[in-house]
Amino acid sequence: MGALGLPLCGVQRRACVRGGGGGGGGGGEFRLNWLLRGESVLYPLPSGEEPPNTLPDPPQHSSLPFSEQIQHPTASLIAKVATAQDDITGDGTTSNVLIIGELLKQADLYISEGLHPRIVAEGFEIAKEKALEVLEQVKVTKEMDRETLIDVAKTSLRTKVHTELADILTEAVVDSVLAVRKPGEPIDLHMVEIMEMKHKSETDTTLIRGLVLDHGARHPDMKKRVEDAYILTCNVSLEYEKTEVSAGFFYKSAEEREKLVKAERKFIEDRVSKIIDLKRRVCGDSDKGFIVINQKGIDPFSLDALAKEGIVALRRAKRRNMERLTLACGGTAMNSVEDLTPDCLGHAGLVYEYTLGEEKYTFIEKCDNPRSVTLLIRGPNKHTLTQIKDAVRDGLRAVKNAIEDGCVIPGAGALEVAVANALVKHKPNVKGRAQLGVQAFADALLIIPKVLAQNSGYDPQETLVKVQAEHAESGQLTGVDLNTGEPMVAAAAGIWDNYNVKKQLLHSCTVIASNILLVDEIMRAGMSSLKG
Amino acid sequence: MAGEVVTLQLGHYAGCVGAHWWGLQRCPPEGTELSHAALLRAGRDGCTPRLIALELKGGVGPLGRGGARPEPLAAWRGDVANYAEPGTGTALRDRGQRPGDASADADCGSGAPGEGAAPSAGSSTQLWSDYLSVQLHPRSIYVLQQYNHDGDSGRLEAFGQGEKLLQDAGCMEELEDRLHFYAEECDYLQGFQVLCDLHDGFSGVGAKVTEVLQDEYSRKGILTWGLTPVTHTVADSQKNFYRVLNAALGIVHLSAHSSLFCPLSLSGSLGIKPQPPIEFPYVNYDASLNYHSSAVLAAALDTLTVPYRLCSSRGSMMHLAEMLSFSGRKVVAAWAAVPFPAVRGHSLPDALCAHQQDVPWKLLSSCKEQKVSRCFAQSVVLRGVCKESPTSCPGQQPPSPLHACETAEQVLQYYLHTAFPGAFSASHVLEQPCVTLPPYPRIFSPLLSRQGFLPDDLSSYSAAAVESIPVLTSLQSSPVLRTLLCDLCKDLQKLGTRRCASFFAAGVEEDDFHEALQELRTLSQCYQMGFEADNSEDESDSD
Repeated sequence: MGALGLPLCGVQRRACVRGGGGGGGGGGEFRLNWLLRGESVLYPLPSGEEPPNTLPDPPQHSSLPFSEQIQHPTASLIAKVATAQDDITGDGTTSNVLIIGELLKQADLYISEGLHPRIVAEGFEIAKEKALEVLEQVKVTKEMDRETLIDVAKTSLRTKVHTELADILTEAVVDSVLAVRKPGEPIDLHMVEIMEMKHKSETDTTLIRGLVLDHGARHPDMKKRVEDAYILTCNVSLEYEKTEVSAGFFYKSAEEREKLVKAERKFIEDRVSKIIDLKRRVCGDSDKGFIVINQKGIDPFSLDALAKEGIVALRRAKRRNMERLTLACGGTAMNSVEDLTPDCLGHAGLVYEYTLGEEKYTFIEKCDNPRSVTLLIRGPNKHTLTQIKDAVRDGLRAVKNAIEDGCVIPGAGALEVAVANALVKHKPNVKGRAQLGVQAFADALLIIPKVLAQNSGYDPQETLVKVQAEHAESGQLTGVDLNTGEPMVAAAAGIWDNYNVKKQLLHSCTVIASNILLVDEIMRAGMSSLKG
Repeated sequence: MAGEVVTLQLGHYAGCVGAHWWGLQRCPPEGTELSHAALLRAGRDGCTPRLIALELKGGVGPLGRGGARPEPLAAWRGDVANYAEPGTGTALRDRGQRPGDASADADCGSGAPGEGAAPSAGSSTQLWSDYLSVQLHPRSIYVLQQYNHDGDSGRLEAFGQGEKLLQDAGCMEELEDRLHFYAEECDYLQGFQVLCDLHDGFSGVGAKVTEVLQDEYSRKGILTWGLTPVTHTVADSQKNFYRVLNAALGIVHLSAHSSLFCPLSLSGSLGIKPQPPIEFPYVNYDASLNYHSSAVLAAALDTLTVPYRLCSSRGSMMHLAEMLSFSGRKVVAAWAAVPFPAVRGHSLPDALCAHQQDVPWKLLSSCKEQKVSRCFAQSVVLRGVCKESPTSCPGQQPPSPLHACETAEQVLQYYLHTAFPGAFSASHVLEQPCVTLPPYPRIFSPLLSRQGFLPDDLSSYSAAAVESIPVLTSLQSSPVLRTLLCDLCKDLQKLGTRRCASFFAAGVEEDDFHEALQELRTLSQCYQMGFEADNSEDESDSD
């Protein structure tokens, strides 16, 4: 793996956009190399037997502070594009930076020979239209079955975590999205709760078809494990406290005070007994379990009464968990115990408590038809947890995109090679010097397969030539096989990218690169006029 | 049994006061008048405060980082070698972590001078973590990475910034998680005590936090203390304006969301014009040091909060709040005598008789004291005086009506009745004094004995370190607050919104500001004593 460092230096060198080209106008010079160096440090190359087939993406969260730290206006602009890309599609941020950098570099070749940036920008615009046309042609519309989605998720996740873990996450991510998907409605990824647990190793990350609450029952006599249980979700205070009416206790003697307290307590006891009644009604003599999950408090007396009846009670559940609970187990959340019916109960196949050090977790699993699921991320330390969390987020987005687009694009640089090829063929149809812009655009896109080859330790030029030759010969969409450095048919290998990611890439890169070129020209003109 | 209370410390000065406060509770004398379970939780390894402390980046020293608890070595069966880093800070911390040692020190009396000395007021007491003497739970300290504690840039200066900070979903979630962690395990959660900095952006943080508490835990008490350090010389007028605006907005929002709100500071004024800091007759403290000023406030706070921390629970935080806050008077003032001037050997009636004319306490709410002391309601706590039996010889004519009372509580009640005729006073008398062992600073006058009493004749004083002091405090709903709030209103009006455009750029809308101003005015009217409406003030208000 030591050799991998070297080609990357090449990327930095080549990404040194318009390094000496600025010539007369110092103000127009800008370099991207440090930007990319930053990336290569932040996101080390994925290692393992199966290298990724697309570019590594920066983790979602790092992109925002990343763009804030950058002072240089051009660089910060590019970083903002990457952030926007992430917001819209959740993927493709590194490609964004690479393509913009390469577009500027290719344009510089022509501009230094005297071509006006305006014409290059025109060429870019024409090339973009054509590229989008190609994109529409090569997109593969197919049934988004589990297999395809797994391929999509795998392509996205393997760039972020190591292969073994990626395969585990892939299944979990796809299954969770499929579980929360409702036909005819947009997918709400909030329905997939991501729960962290600092425990065991990262490969123990699993999908829970239900919910994990990070607290447990507070009564020692309550069962730690209940199977086939009814679940009552409620928001009713079961603790003795002062009544809402602002009135102090006015009493003459200790007995009188006791009496008042008792009367107050009675109020709570009535509520508890209503719940117990319901339990008796639905469970009868069967050995079904009964769980009460309350958003408000339950005091020790009430816990005691419930424990005696074999009811497991959890108090002070978090508000956001309450919403999920009804989605996961069914039933409705009750705000009063007055109208309790068996209809408002949910159901779960298995409920158990798990203690980890000082913390207790309650797993509510095997729900019949969960509309909200939990991805339980485990890892030995905070860093691993964050890394997996970011990867999972991206994976979820990728799967969601694929389902919503209804189509996918072959990955591994296949699209870029195809587009470049099409652009070269399209070039003669363009009038005038704008052709050069189209050529620059075509060359710039090839950075993607080149960097892929480079990152996996192959000679970029040789690999690119091979892939292009294969593509021209077979007419199929050919990408780089990172294991061998040879061309391969991306679709056959199951490497799929998101359609909307690519579309967004083409749009935003072109616009930003053109704008930078034009602004650069204006800046330079300003500088020279000042001198004159 | 007193119900459980969760404590929140928002800001650096709140951290300073908190650090001293936890220190004061560290090694109580054998008495069990105060319930430990009220503020501390018993975890798997030892008691830790039920605390969430919000701090800015750089505001917590090495002690706080990462939760301050060494990894348990239970699972390791091999040899363990300990390497301790020498240095004053560590030595201090070690002392704190072995409370047994500290009290042993106190018992043997002499107290090795080197060991027992409070840390000198040098670099070792810059941050509150330097003199924090208890262990904290790993979930206690929450460092907000967005802003710097110190330095020129990236400061949390304005109310709006603080508010915005907690609008961030991640931040809020983290806070809710931590709150939930403590609240969930409480059997009888009685409420929250929030220590909040008023002078900087943390007042905005406090506004949001109390809003969340009120929303999530309705019907629980929320007792908020608005803390301000002693204002230094007014070098930067802009900073001064910020301070006043933060304090005003803080008071409005915090009092709206809390059951009871009390400004607490040694600074003489919250307004634009600085006033000299409050002085106590037997305390020589350096007002410019947070280490000193927060220690005085902590002693007062430890006593003020007694009513809802008693083992023989006679009232909860809610009771206290409701007693003091009727008819919208949610803001209360704190008075304290630190230490309560009592001559050694005198009984409680004797001690109180010496102050027939004037209650010896000082106002800790940044406002000029008024000559006529009157109040609507108050909760008074006296601790550490009544060890000597108050009973005089039977048959003799008691020297004063105070001596005729049977119990200490009655004595205090009678005394308050004469000092504040017509006011509703709840009183508590505690035997145990306020224990001021290091790292509590040595700020007391050399006149005081080791138990914090005055000598009967001035010649016989010993310069021993003061180990405990008697304290008298009162939480008062009083007309003084009208002056405080009115003055603040006037200052704000004078200030206008033009002069601090940047403050409003940071998130507070001008309309919100005017609304707050209006609320402040309404609030101040609650404290008007019907019969003495001084018209001059009203006229100036109306324009």
